Amino acid sequence: MLRALGGWIALTPELPAKLLFGRHVWDCAQHADLWGKRLPELRAPAQQSEPANLRMVKFMDLLESAEGPRQTVERVAGVYRVLKPHLVTVYAHHLANANPVYEPPTRRILERCVEEERRHAAAGAMVLARLTRDDAARERQKTWEQQLLAQLGEAGGVTGDGATPLIDAAVLAVSPHAVKQDLVDVPPDFDPAVLEPELAAAVAAYGAALESGQLAAESLVEPSARDAVLAEHDRFGDRVRRCRVVALAAVGRHRLVKVRLDGARMVGYVQLRFVRTDAGWRIGAAELVRMEPVDVAPAL
Amino acid sequence: MERPIAYDKLAREDRFVRMRARDVAELKVSQGLPPFPDLSTHDSMRERVHGILVGELQAMEGAGRTVCDFPDAPWEFTLDMARQVWDESRHVETYLGLLEHLGGRLGEFPETTILWRCACAEDAAARVAGVNRGLEGLACDVFNQLIHIAGKIGDPILEQSVDYVLADEITHVRMGSRWLNELTRGEPERRRKAIEFQETIDERFNLGGTRQDGQHDVVPISIAKEARKLAGFTDEEIERLIKSTQRSQVY
Repeated sequence: MLRALGGWIALTPELPAKLLFGRHVWDCAQHADLWGKRLPELRAPAQQSEPANLRMVKFMDLLESAEGPRQTVERVAGVYRVLKPHLVTVYAHHLANANPVYEPPTRRILERCVEEERRHAAAGAMVLARLTRDDAARERQKTWEQQLLAQLGEAGGVTGDGATPLIDAAVLAVSPHAVKQDLVDVPPDFDPAVLEPELAAAVAAYGAALESGQLAAESLVEPSARDAVLAEHDRFGDRVRRCRVVALAAVGRHRLVKVRLDGARMVGYVQLRFVRTDAGWRIGAAELVRMEPVDVAPAL
Repeated sequence: MERPIAYDKLAREDRFVRMRARDVAELKVSQGLPPFPDLSTHDSMRERVHGILVGELQAMEGAGRTVCDFPDAPWEFTLDMARQVWDESRHVETYLGLLEHLGGRLGEFPETTILWRCACAEDAAARVAGVNRGLEGLACDVFNQLIHIAGKIGDPILEQSVDYVLADEITHVRMGSRWLNELTRGEPERRRKAIEFQETIDERFNLGGTRQDGQHDVVPISIAKEARKLAGFTDEEIERLIKSTQRSQVY
């Protein structure tokens, strides 16, 4: 789980999820370290872990397979709705049965892991709620969780003995106040109102020209850049049905406007460099930076 | 899991505009601006802080990949890299707050991925040499100067926040020095290549003469000799870096 979370940070576009993983990698490493150091005290080799059985390996392989840029829901659901709640359940059960006279070293580790994993799971659920605002996303989450739980059940849980329920909701409760430390306040989504009015008008004219297929006739493009800008838009290869601004950045007096183009089959992202001229804002360069089929391109 | 990943898989929300560092610099120079924000105005401070913020984001992503990509590396190495992930995530939070403090907006300036590309080296020793010693060393220079200037203009929020982050960066450089030695013990060729990689990065991040030996308010980025010594750089290494800045006059 530690290595999966670490690897997923770069693969996850959404900041709340990216920072959630970033927050938890160190806690997971410390848990693994505590268990690894406890092993030789129980007459096993230090820092050597092995899976309970091959079905458990399959479960982890399945969990880690959600590596695509559009699979954040699966990543968060897998770890925070399945694996971590399962670990809390197993730890809590183990703690309830660990002898307080003979096993304080193990109990101390369990107490820490239960508390932190419980907090992680609650924080993950909050991030997941933000990622699953529509029915389709909620359906994907549900399907993925069921698939993982079935595989985990076949493995008999992380211990392989199936001695505890996979997830016991009764041991997962945590106060929202405690969870705050696991979440980072991320600035609100991009607001197109940050475009200055004249630039917004120029971008609106560009969008209208694209939607009517008249970009070539527009005087919005600097004459010296015209051929290159039109060629870049030709690469999109689909009729633009809708154009909207998703980002704005400044390089000195130039403005870089990123627009999302929705076509019938494809979604494309074009970065336009606007330059202020005596005649107003004009496009000095354009680059099609990304294209993907419509069905895999929700807005981020 | 795919290990390692191609550098173009770095995932971002739509609100970020990505550009090549060279293109950003050229576009600025064509407008008569310095290629790197010089901290002389409020706007350039905001731009510098935004640049650091995305750098911290990429540092977190890079350290996370190092945790993932080298399952056979010593466990203590993984632990150090995991700690670094957490530190970088807190730095992102700090810089998000500082950007707001300076009236900035996430995505207000383009993101370049030059730092992330350096974090994609295939060898773990090269990564710690390049990222922990090269880039985190640069962070020591940049943060040290930012602290100085924040103190001078009377901005205690900026001054204290960056000071805490600098303490972590010094620790990360130390980690880099330790693991460069341990991962390449008995492998001189591997060590040579890792150090060569770090020197390439140092050279690149001299930013065409932007980083120099000199007073904070005289040079665009001042080499933080004291912070670098605390981080474990030797006098000889610092001297070598200063010399390399004297031959990096072209961006």
